[in-house]
Amino acid sequence: MSQSITDYAPQTITELVGNPWLAMPMAAGIIMGALTVNVLMLVWAERKVSAWIQRRMGPTEVGPYGLLQTLADMLKLISKQLITPANIDKPLYHLAPLMAFAPVVGAVALFPVSRDYVLLDNDLGLLFVFALGGMAVIAIFMAGWGSNNKYALLGAVRSVAQNISYEIPLILSALSVVLVVNAMGGSTASGLNLSHIAWVQSHEHVWFILLQPLAAIIYFISALAETNRAPFDIPEAESELVAGFHTEYSGMRFSLFFFSEYTNMLIVSMLAVVLFLGGWDGPLLPGPAWFFLKSYALIFVMMWVRWTFPRLRFDQLMTFCWTVLIPLSILNLLATALAISVL
Amino acid sequence: MSVDLPTRIDELSTASEECAYEKVGFHQRHTIDASVLIDLARAFFEAGYVLEMITCQDLRAETQKMLLVYSFNRLESVDRQLLHLAIDPDTEQAPTLSMIYSGANWFEREVYDMYGVRFSDHPELERILLPEDADFFALRKDFGRMDEASAGGDEAEEGDDD
Amino acid sequence: MTNPPRELSPSTEGELYTLNMGPQHPSMHGVLRLVLQLRGEQIVNAKPVIGYSHRAHEKMAENRSALQFLPNSSRIDYLSGMIYNLGYCQAVEKILQIEVPDRAVHIRIIAAELNRISSHLLWFGTFLLDLGGITPFLYSFDDREQILDILDSVTGSRLTYCYGRFGGVTRDVDDEFLERSTAFIKLLRTRLLMYKRLVTDNVILRERCIGVGVISKDTAFRFDVTGPSLRASGVAYDVRKAEPYGGYDRFDFEVPTEEDGDTMSRFHVRIREIEQSCRLIEQAIASMPEGDILPKKMPKRFQIPKGEFYFACESARGHFGIYMVGDGSDIPFKMKLRTPSFSNLSAMPETLRGTMLADTIAIVGGIDIVMPEIDR
Repeated sequence: MSQSITDYAPQTITELVGNPWLAMPMAAGIIMGALTVNVLMLVWAERKVSAWIQRRMGPTEVGPYGLLQTLADMLKLISKQLITPANIDKPLYHLAPLMAFAPVVGAVALFPVSRDYVLLDNDLGLLFVFALGGMAVIAIFMAGWGSNNKYALLGAVRSVAQNISYEIPLILSALSVVLVVNAMGGSTASGLNLSHIAWVQSHEHVWFILLQPLAAIIYFISALAETNRAPFDIPEAESELVAGFHTEYSGMRFSLFFFSEYTNMLIVSMLAVVLFLGGWDGPLLPGPAWFFLKSYALIFVMMWVRWTFPRLRFDQLMTFCWTVLIPLSILNLLATALAISVL
Repeated sequence: MSVDLPTRIDELSTASEECAYEKVGFHQRHTIDASVLIDLARAFFEAGYVLEMITCQDLRAETQKMLLVYSFNRLESVDRQLLHLAIDPDTEQAPTLSMIYSGANWFEREVYDMYGVRFSDHPELERILLPEDADFFALRKDFGRMDEASAGGDEAEEGDDD
Repeated sequence: MTNPPRELSPSTEGELYTLNMGPQHPSMHGVLRLVLQLRGEQIVNAKPVIGYSHRAHEKMAENRSALQFLPNSSRIDYLSGMIYNLGYCQAVEKILQIEVPDRAVHIRIIAAELNRISSHLLWFGTFLLDLGGITPFLYSFDDREQILDILDSVTGSRLTYCYGRFGGVTRDVDDEFLERSTAFIKLLRTRLLMYKRLVTDNVILRERCIGVGVISKDTAFRFDVTGPSLRASGVAYDVRKAEPYGGYDRFDFEVPTEEDGDTMSRFHVRIREIEQSCRLIEQAIASMPEGDILPKKMPKRFQIPKGEFYFACESARGHFGIYMVGDGSDIPFKMKLRTPSFSNLSAMPETLRGTMLADTIAIVGGIDIVMPEIDR
C-alpha cells in the first residue's frame, strides 16, 4: 500500500471535514491556536507565581486577575517597530526565530492526551521529539552569530554548549524508561512509541517514576537545562550579558523566541509526564484532564525552582553535567539493563 | 625591620611636630623633601603602616607652592602620621609611591586630576574623575568659584524662567 | 566542585578580546565601567573607569560654609547617608570641641546602626540579584522599608538624611520611635534565620562564592582596603574600635572577622555585622537617658580654625575619613573625603586577574562599592 502524506492527517478532523487535504491545515491551525493560548497562560502563570513567591501581586489590572495581561503585551510586541541592527548576517538573523519556533510546534503533535487519542501515532515518537528538540540549538547559534554583537555571541556559545551537553543525560534517562517499557509491554509495540509508553504504565498500574526515580530526577534537571531555565539560565543571564543570544531581537522576532521557550517548557513537561508520570492515567477524571494537570504541575515546579535559586556559573554547569549527570545516567541505564535481564 | 621607624623619620624629615590627637585627629606631622619620600614610605611600609590618603592643598596664593599631604596609619593601634611635601606643579614632579603602596596609584591620579601635580614614573598617570579631555584642574584655587560661574549665566536669561 | 585558585593560561597573545561592561549595565552597581580583556572566559586585565557620577563635592565644600555643607554630606554615599551625615557633624564637633549631650549620642548610635543595617540589607538583595537569585531582593527590601519608615518618622527623609546638627541632632525621638525600633530588631532576627536557611546555606550560592575573589592580607594592606572586605581577610580593623568616636566605646559589640578573604567570607561578615548592629541598637535604647539633644551653649558661628584636621568613622563600607583644612573663616579651605569604596575598588584589577567572567559580577558585587562615594 503506497503511503501518502494524507496518511498522517488526523483521523477525527478528517472525518469531520471529509477531505484530508483540508484537515491537515486545520489541524495545524488548531495546534497553533492551542499553543498560543498555552503561551499566554504560561506567561501569566510565571508572572503570578513569581509575584507570590516574592510577596507581590503580579498583574491584576488587565482583565480579571490580570489574565489578559499577556495578550496586551503580545499586541504591544507585535505593534513595535522592528529595529534591525546594521551589519548583521541577514539570512541567519532573520531565519533564527523561525528555526526556534517551527520544531517545537511540530513536536506537540506526538503526545498522547488520552488512551485513544494522539494526533500523530508514530513508532519512533520519542526519537522524533528529541530530534526536533535538537534543532533548537542551531537556531540559538544562528541568532547569536547573526546578531553581530559580542554579548549575543557569548550567550549563544554558552547556550549551544549547554544544550548539547545536557541532551545526553536527557536522552539516557529516557532510554532507561524505554528499556523498562520493552521489558514489560511485550514485543508487539515499539518502546519508542509515546502512547505505548503511557499505556504500559496504565496497564501495569505502576508509574515509571517509582521504577526509575533516578532517571526521573536526572531527566528533570536536564530538562531545566535544555530549556535554559534557572538555575541554568546563563545564556540569558540578565545581570551579565543583558539578554544573551536574543539581545538584538525586538518586537515580533523576540516574541517568537519567547514563544518557543515556553512551548519547549510544555514539551519537556509533557514528555516527563508520559515517561514517568503515567501520561493520562488517573482515577475519576478523563485522560486529557490528568495529562494536562500533571504537565502544568511540572511547569509550576520549574517556575518555583527558577525563582528560588541563584544561577550556576557556566563552568560549574558544565562540570555538573559531565561529572555528575552523565555518569549517573549511564550507571542507571546499565543497572536497568542488568535488572531486566535478571528479572 | 632593621631600623625602627621613629629613627628613620628623624633622619629623613626636615621638621616634625607632635600634635594633640584628640584635637586634630593625627599624632605627628612631618615636613619632608621630595628626595626622601620614597625611603620614608618604605620605612612606613616595613613598619606595617597603611597609606590612608594622598591629597594636596593649593597654597600658591601664600607660598607659591602646593602642599602634598600623605597620611599613614597603623591598623593595630591608631598612630596617624601626616607628611607634608611642598611642590611646584609647574616645574617639579613628585616621586610616585605606587611601587610600594599599590593604592597610591589611584590617589596620585586623583591629585593629578584635581591639582595638576605630576608624579614621575607613575604607571598610568591619567585623569580619573574628570573627563579625559578636560583642560582644567578642578580643585585649584584659581579655577573659578562655582557660584560665580552660575550667577553670570543667570543674568543673561533673567526674563524667561517659570 | 571547589574553586581552586586560577593561574592565567600561558597561551600566546593574539586571542585577547576586549569586553566593555558598563557604565550602563544591569549589574554594575552605579555607573562603573569595567574594561575587561578576556581570553575566552578568563580575565587577563580589568580596568575600572570611574568618574561618571563626579559631582564635585570637594569643590562645593570649599565654596560653602561648614554648616551649608550639611546636606551634601549624606549624598556622598547615599546608602550610608546617616552615617556620613553624623560623621561630618562629629568631625566639625571635634574641630570646634563642641560637646554632644548624652541623649543625642544614643540617638545618633541608633540612627547610624539602623542605617548600617539598611545598607547591608540592600547589599544582600542586590548581591543575590546579580547572581541570579531574584527573590531575596524583594524580601530584604521589605525589611529595609521598615527601617526607612522608622527613620522617616523622625528625620523626614528616607534616604538622604540631614538629621545631624553640630552638637546633636535636629529633632528628638519619642517613645514610638524606640518601640518601633525594638520591634523591628526582633523581627529582623527571625528574618535573618530565614535568610540563612534560604540563602546562606544554599548550595548554588556557596558554589558561586566560596574561593572566589580572594583578597589576601597583603593585597588589602597595599591598597588600604577597609571595612567588611578587610575583615573578611582576617584583619579585625573597625574604626569604631580603633578610634572610638560618638560614644561607641560605651557599648559592647564585636568586630566579626573571617579568615578566607573570599566572597563567601565577605558575605558572612556582613550578615554578622547586621547582628552586631542589632545588639548596639538594643543597648542604646535600653540605656537611653533623658535630656537635651543639643548643647545649651553653642557657638553662633562655626568657624574652622587655622590648621588641618582629620576625623575617621566606620561607614557600612569601611573607613570614611574627613580631612579638613581651615583658614579661620566659616568656609573650609579644603576638605578631602577619604571614601572606603575608592580604595576597595582600586584593589579590583589585581583581584580580578585570572578569574572567570561570571565571577566578575560576584566579586565586584561582593566588595559592596557605591559609585557616588568613589566619584564624589
